[in-house]
Amino acid sequence: MKLKQSIYITALVASLGIMVSCSNDDNGTYMDDDMMMDNDMMELDFSGTFSQVDHIGRPGINTTLSYDMEGEASVKDAHNTTIPSEMASTFQMGFQARLEQYHDVYALKLGLDPADVDYENNILGLDAATLTTVLAADVLEVAPDLPTTYFNPGTDLDNDGNVLVPDGDEVALTGRHPNDDIIDVSLILFFGGMQGDRFSGQDLDDDGMADLPRLTSDGVGLTANISTTFPYLGAPE
Amino acid sequence: MKTRKGYLMGLGALATIAAILVSADHIDAPSSAGTSADIADFYAFEPSEGSDNTVFVVDLQSNVLPDLAYGTFDEDVLTEINIDLDGDLVEDQVIQAIAKDGRMYFFGPVAPSQTGLNSSVYTEAALGDVEISGATAMVETTSDGVSLFAGPRQDPFFFDFFQFNAVISPELDSAPGGFLPPDEAADTFDGANTMSIVVEIPNSMLGTPTATNALGLSVYKTWVTTNRKQ
Repeated sequence: MKLKQSIYITALVASLGIMVSCSNDDNGTYMDDDMMMDNDMMELDFSGTFSQVDHIGRPGINTTLSYDMEGEASVKDAHNTTIPSEMASTFQMGFQARLEQYHDVYALKLGLDPADVDYENNILGLDAATLTTVLAADVLEVAPDLPTTYFNPGTDLDNDGNVLVPDGDEVALTGRHPNDDIIDVSLILFFGGMQGDRFSGQDLDDDGMADLPRLTSDGVGLTANISTTFPYLGAPE
Repeated sequence: MKTRKGYLMGLGALATIAAILVSADHIDAPSSAGTSADIADFYAFEPSEGSDNTVFVVDLQSNVLPDLAYGTFDEDVLTEINIDLDGDLVEDQVIQAIAKDGRMYFFGPVAPSQTGLNSSVYTEAALGDVEISGATAMVETTSDGVSLFAGPRQDPFFFDFFQFNAVISPELDSAPGGFLPPDEAADTFDGANTMSIVVEIPNSMLGTPTATNALGLSVYKTWVTTNRKQ
């Protein structure tokens, strides 16, 4: 999907032009020390074979889209011990089924026929098969030369009215910062439809009561302390 | 539409759900959940606008729910940050971290001699080491400009996990209104700590990616694994 690359190039040039180096001087005790490769390290025993037990790429993917059936081998465990290049072929079908299952759950809660309430193409224009193919290959993309934005559905820098649909004015999928609301982004991608607000607690008959469920935001934001300097996370509570 | 009754019944349904779901990767699977190798979360970001560095944050364990092994790094668990440059989803560079005697030792970035599910520590590619912190952050920076940290930190992940479980419950009266409005929703992870490993590294040490994301932007494709000594 090629979009207006000039926007990104402009952003890239701007970001290179600023060249702010990282300031690591005011959070904790800093020891600027070139002697870490000391003899102690060489004498330590790190031998042995280590076998993979857990995996994470994009946040929340295995937890929300893998589904364990009672009495069957755990799909979640299998996902954690599958290499990324084999994930899409292994897990996409199950992820898509799970995504549709979530919609069926709400169809029933709304008193509707589950056959009538299906996933709709999301703000990225992805159908269910494509979205789950992308998500099944569970890696986190991070751009070395661009600002980090997991996805900000609120940007419409060119004021063309397409607030939510990527049209070239977004810098997105460039990493994950601790203040990115990745749960809301995932919910919007799953339940938001083309405009991102398909199930967002709408009051359709204007009686002051929501008629559609609120599925596109969990309603919470960052509560922990984070920092602009290394190591970026707040001291333990 | 959202009623207190529905909320309480949702919580009741939660207790009967066989697979408790917590994101981001917090407690994601039966075999790793609650162990010292359980990855809670992963962040990768540009530390400041225009920086030539990338920051990787790996959170292991979370104390948000009882019975989790929060508190120490397991010396038999090797954490690997995998970096794919060309988009084939096979790691081209790895950064390793493993605890020993109160310090966290880092290796790489190095092209792995074997990819896949088994690893060994690349001792010939030592990157640096740092004392495992207590409440005060102890950080090191290497002559290459790599910053290193390991220790307990606040878990920055935020999610109304209890309501999520009510939302996904198939019980018809469980959270029919979906998630709660902001004034009623609660961050389940508020007050939780995690065991964090943080590496800030110049991009020049990782290589130039040819992989692109869905918007055509150049990206590293990254993931984290924990690996237990056999």
